[in-house]
Amino acid sequence: MKNILPLVFVLSTSTAAFAQRDTTRKDSTKQLKEVVVTGTRTAKSLQQVPIPITRITSEEIKNRGLVRLNEVLSEQTGINILDDPHGQGIQIQGFDPAYTLILIDGLPLIGRSTGILELSRITTNNIDRIEIVKGPTSSLYGSEAMAGVVNIITAEPAKGFSGGVAGRYGTNKNADLSLNSSYKTNKFYISGFANRNSSGGYSLQPASGIPTVSPFHGYTLNGKTAYRFDDNTSLKLSVRYYTNDQDSRFSVDNNRFASGKGTEKDFNLAPVLTHRFSKKDVSVLQLYRSVYKTNSDIRYEDNHDIYDQTYFTQTFNRAEIQNDYALQDNLKLTAGVGGQYETVEATRYTKQQSFTSGYGYFQADWIPVKKLDIIAGGRFDVHSVYKSQFSPKLAASYALNDKLTILGSAGKGYKAPDFRQLYLNFTNAEVGYSVFGYEEAQAGIARLQQEGQIETVLIDPSTLKRLNAESSTAFNFGFRYKPVAKLYWTANLFRNNISNLIETAAIALKTNGQSVFSYFNLNKVYTQGLETDVTYQLFKPLQIGGGFQYLEAYDQDVLDQIKAGKVFTKDPETNLTKALKRSDYGGLLGRSKYTYNIRLNYNEEKTGINTSVRAIYRGRYGYKDSDGNGIVNRADEYTNGYMLVNASVSKLFMNNALRLQVTAQNLFNHKDPQVILNLPGRLIYAGVAYNFNKQ
Amino acid sequence: MNKFKTLSLALGSAVILLASSCSKNNDDPTPAESKLTTKTISDLDGASKATVYFSLATGTEVTGADTASATKWDLKFKSTSIFTNGGTSGTGTTQAQVVSSTFEALTTAPTADYKTDATGAPAISGWYTYTAETAPQHAILATPGKIFVIKTADGKYAKVEMISYYKGNPNTTTAAFADLTTRPASRYYTFRYAYQGDGTTSFK
Repeated sequence: MKNILPLVFVLSTSTAAFAQRDTTRKDSTKQLKEVVVTGTRTAKSLQQVPIPITRITSEEIKNRGLVRLNEVLSEQTGINILDDPHGQGIQIQGFDPAYTLILIDGLPLIGRSTGILELSRITTNNIDRIEIVKGPTSSLYGSEAMAGVVNIITAEPAKGFSGGVAGRYGTNKNADLSLNSSYKTNKFYISGFANRNSSGGYSLQPASGIPTVSPFHGYTLNGKTAYRFDDNTSLKLSVRYYTNDQDSRFSVDNNRFASGKGTEKDFNLAPVLTHRFSKKDVSVLQLYRSVYKTNSDIRYEDNHDIYDQTYFTQTFNRAEIQNDYALQDNLKLTAGVGGQYETVEATRYTKQQSFTSGYGYFQADWIPVKKLDIIAGGRFDVHSVYKSQFSPKLAASYALNDKLTILGSAGKGYKAPDFRQLYLNFTNAEVGYSVFGYEEAQAGIARLQQEGQIETVLIDPSTLKRLNAESSTAFNFGFRYKPVAKLYWTANLFRNNISNLIETAAIALKTNGQSVFSYFNLNKVYTQGLETDVTYQLFKPLQIGGGFQYLEAYDQDVLDQIKAGKVFTKDPETNLTKALKRSDYGGLLGRSKYTYNIRLNYNEEKTGINTSVRAIYRGRYGYKDSDGNGIVNRADEYTNGYMLVNASVSKLFMNNALRLQVTAQNLFNHKDPQVILNLPGRLIYAGVAYNFNKQ
Repeated sequence: MNKFKTLSLALGSAVILLASSCSKNNDDPTPAESKLTTKTISDLDGASKATVYFSLATGTEVTGADTASATKWDLKFKSTSIFTNGGTSGTGTTQAQVVSSTFEALTTAPTADYKTDATGAPAISGWYTYTAETAPQHAILATPGKIFVIKTADGKYAKVEMISYYKGNPNTTTAAFADLTTRPASRYYTFRYAYQGDGTTSFK
């Protein structure tokens, strides 16, 4: 690391003498020509693709002064960033973060803590755009793509020598610094990118002396190279490395403190070979290896005894070949097969565990008449540990006229049981309960019985049903409307029926009064709602926009129990029990019924001044159960709704090569220190970016 | 015409009156037969002593030599544990079970499935939730819908709902309760109960 950084910097500065050119693309409203790839795994026009998809360009992100993926996604319609001790993940269509697949250039990122992939791990300084697909996309991507897919598409270099430097610094000593440089000819390109992201952390309870978020510093290195052998064959290689160190400190018991360091590392390597057999027939061979590691060593501050020492290592290997074949001008077929090998080794697992899986997928994109586009496809996954899955999908878009397109889709999504649910072997040292993954339950109970720790076995582990994937059936229906060039309006109605949700339940009682838990396919839930977004160019420099989502997310079993009169609450005034009514049930935790955002962008091309203001409202949501019935129903179980206002002003200099920027996040300093831990209050940043290109 | 109208009106109202008075008679058990007593006990003091004994028949605390009796007390409160007079907890034969219901909706005691206190397995459990780190932190909150049905040593039935573990039955959703420095003292039991003195399972 220490050796690479100066190298990249030297490369950038030594080429800085070349003439400068505007590398930030001009503002455009060319939605019709905009191409997306994530919805179908083929390039397709945004207006035509028959599933809900959002495209965020690098320019929009830069105008808003944002540098990390969590910052970008938190401002999007229909997306909420959840506050969770395991990280900042996203909620799409009411699903938890574990159900959205996060891709970089179409390849999955691994490394989730209790299902959450920390989004601040991902820099947005080296990207071209982000595509967000909503609704299940397991028909193409397999497991995890149940709520949707977020695909980060990294920037392709411009011809000649290019380079740039960008920095942002502000509140809480938050610093983000990026360097990039690239060289491209007709046949070859190479590009390098380095980013350092650090923070002094913050505390919402300063008197405690304990940070809410501890100081950290992380690096991202990304290299890409490609070579075109001839008009038909090209090879591309990308490497990404991410590492982050965080110092943590917290109070244990009786005024004792523990502190130490945690390290997180993420490595991806992806060679891709593309060959065009004919104009109609293209094959892509892709290999991918990803490694994710964490290590932490926390010790008591007084005597340096070990408080907690953990490690986690996950690897993911994949080989895949996809073939796109245009059978006729109006019928394109896509088919792919792949194999995967995954391993995990961790403090809380008995031994190294591995998964082997294989899959095949198929998609037909048919345009029977000019205005109608029908996409039918499916994917079959076979797996060494859980049952095979088939995920079909059918989608269609119809252009009523050249202004209005309606779209509808139905599909199945699934999420495989993860390593934790299969292999966890964990006993809490302080409290004394145990949790076993499905595969470990029988051996675990037998061992505890031998040690005389089991009082009663509630469910004989040999009778446990094989853990199945969680699955959903989803329906999306909406429109895209562009009556005039200035106005763009989209809307989508959605419904997700989810079954076999994996939950823990007790399988035995221990002699210490605690329980032994394992995992079961239990719950049925559903989410449904409406999402709509509109952008309007009011007059030349001023664009206004807004988005809204209405969401309902309920547990079907709880609804049935309420109907049967089996769910109760306590009146907070009298503390007397009363039966719960259907209208009192607030649904699943962390789901806001109403969310909306309002956006303003004032872009004066003449002076190069861009002003952007966004207001994001998140309605109240249930965050705890305080009356002991396990569900959200009483007023004190909700947070208050809140609005965050983010703003940014930037000015371009030197023929658009230099950008100076001031950015504010959470301008009105909203805080909820008891409930929302990922809101540090107002953040003010100053930013500078310089780019050049020499043909 | 008018006569008919008056006649039919009179007839109609007579029928309704008759019907409603009949149903009233059917619904109301004659007060003389039922020996049901319903009481709310406020702030039974378990803070100043390790255990507090209670008799459902008299509705009062039991102290002294009577705490060794097989019949003079039914419930014993000790911190967050509630014991019945029998098995490992007493010399009596009191049994109990926990039923999911509102207090009002439970109109008949179950006839089977009563348990006697045993080591590590009291007949009454799961009546409270400990909040741990969730606000209000470290609080003992009575779980809704947990009604204890007691079959006393002399074969009488009672239903009990725990209301509060804190002095003065405070509203547990307030900031004053959440703040550990202003939270009322614990181990003051507030509960309501209905005791059927006639030996039947009816709580009407």
